[in-house]
Amino acid sequence: MNELDKIPVRQELSVAEGNVKRSNPLANVFDELVRFCQSRSMFMLHYCTGCGAIELPPAMTSRFDMERLGIQPMVTPRQADILLITGYVSVKTLKRIILTYEQMPSPKYVIGICSCTVNGGMYWQSYATAKVLKEYLPVDIYIAGCMPRPEAVISGLRDLMGDIKSGRADNWKRYFQNYDHYLGNQQKLFGEDWQTPTDIIAEAEHYGLMTDQTLGEHTALLQKHQQPLEALEFSLGEKREKIQGENPREKNNE
Amino acid sequence: MHFYELLVELLLMPILAFVIGLAMVLMMRRIGARIQRRVGPPVLQPIYDIIKLYSKETQISHGLMHEIGIIMAVGGFIAAMTLLPVPGMSGLTDKGGAVTLAYMLMIPSLGMALGVGQCANPNGSIGISRALTAMLAYDIPFILVIFGASYVYGTTNLAEMVAIQQQQDVSSWGIVQMPLLALTALLILPATMGKHPFEIYVAPSEIATGPMVEMSGKFMGGLFVMQCFQLYTAGVIFTTLFLGGGVYWITFLPKIFLVVAIPMSVAYLFPRYRTEDVLRLMWKWPMLLGLIGLAVVMK
Ligand code: SF4
Repeated sequence: MNELDKIPVRQELSVAEGNVKRSNPLANVFDELVRFCQSRSMFMLHYCTGCGAIELPPAMTSRFDMERLGIQPMVTPRQADILLITGYVSVKTLKRIILTYEQMPSPKYVIGICSCTVNGGMYWQSYATAKVLKEYLPVDIYIAGCMPRPEAVISGLRDLMGDIKSGRADNWKRYFQNYDHYLGNQQKLFGEDWQTPTDIIAEAEHYGLMTDQTLGEHTALLQKHQQPLEALEFSLGEKREKIQGENPREKNNE
Repeated sequence: MHFYELLVELLLMPILAFVIGLAMVLMMRRIGARIQRRVGPPVLQPIYDIIKLYSKETQISHGLMHEIGIIMAVGGFIAAMTLLPVPGMSGLTDKGGAVTLAYMLMIPSLGMALGVGQCANPNGSIGISRALTAMLAYDIPFILVIFGASYVYGTTNLAEMVAIQQQQDVSSWGIVQMPLLALTALLILPATMGKHPFEIYVAPSEIATGPMVEMSGKFMGGLFVMQCFQLYTAGVIFTTLFLGGGVYWITFLPKIFLVVAIPMSVAYLFPRYRTEDVLRLMWKWPMLLGLIGLAVVMK
């Protein structure tokens, strides 16, 4: 065996709680049908953060044609199933990525394209980039390369399809199960008053995905700093500048 | 007609329409792909998409109106399906007629407007205002066409129109009797289907798919189902008014697929029109043609 083959490419995961086979054989067939359809129809939100995005157009258009695999671009997080993060993630971008990710309906999958999302790539010394993407979001598949060719992107997407079909791609549950961990890393980067409009804890309760890792010191911090969401005031011209200074959420984003 | 027979037809007609509509969506996507020199989606892709959307775990609802809006959008089309004559089944065609159908086809747009309104997303509101403006643009030529056709056939009953056209060979078809009105209908066809180049209200990169911006999961699935009905309706109305309708499925199916394929193959070649240009375009050429066509048939 080649030395290279010994490097584990996939972290072997135990079957998560939600995925136990149901006892009713008909329900199993139904589950498989649903998983099959989910794997064959993926709407992607390509959040083009960095240079890696340049390889997506050829992957989507006539040369490699992703639509063959049922992968289509979609434009809002509400409609999307997979979030493609194509390249280095600056701290400011990461905030937007997290906002986007939390708005996507589950089951949702994250793909980190480019070495920069794996370990910082050539930006590993930069003060302004978030280096390891999976500390902030549960990543389903990484496609390494600087930048990966369209063939690699499509092969990565096919791997994800296989994972979805076999029920292994359940990383979206991990975000709820280990929310405290992810939130902690986010707070380290953005400060302890970091908050998003989505109520992850309530969602975790709703899905029955609360574990003892969901709540912790970081979520306690979140609850301390959390301000109730209010509609932003709509105004034009001079008045707007005045309001910007006063709005705590605007300050938060800078 | 026997009561049970009618009941079966009312059930069967929307189901058939849905299945044919799925095939039309596939055809539309394949045509688009071929024009862009791509392969296009696999055969069952429309079904995968719909099952996937309905099986999402998160179903974000923005309130009661959001849900009712989608039900209206799909339900309006399902009701319209029972008014469209197909080979072997006429459902409620003889009770409804072309005018009821024209009304019925506005319900989905209004349902969408209500549903999107509750989402409170500015992109959605912009999209829906554009969609309703576009509806205003193509509905007037559409009414002209329906009026002209009813005048020529002397009835608003779609089933009777088919019977009249079937009495002789091709020369009795609407497209020979009133070519100008048929041309008008062909010109507004892409707009009624909301496809290129009249899809400014969707405009993915500018207003993030407009009305669909807050739709996820089953709501989006509902819209996908609606799209199937939309394509099917456009094909059947045109075929019934101008192409002799259908007596046998074997001749009916190629006709409706052809009708949907024509605007699709032309559509992808054009960029989008802006809303005011849609209005100007629709009220200029199709309307002019329609009025001349009316004058010719009423002379
Ligand atoms: S891995 Fe290379 S191509 Fe990709 S974002 Fe980083 S520097 Fe750019």
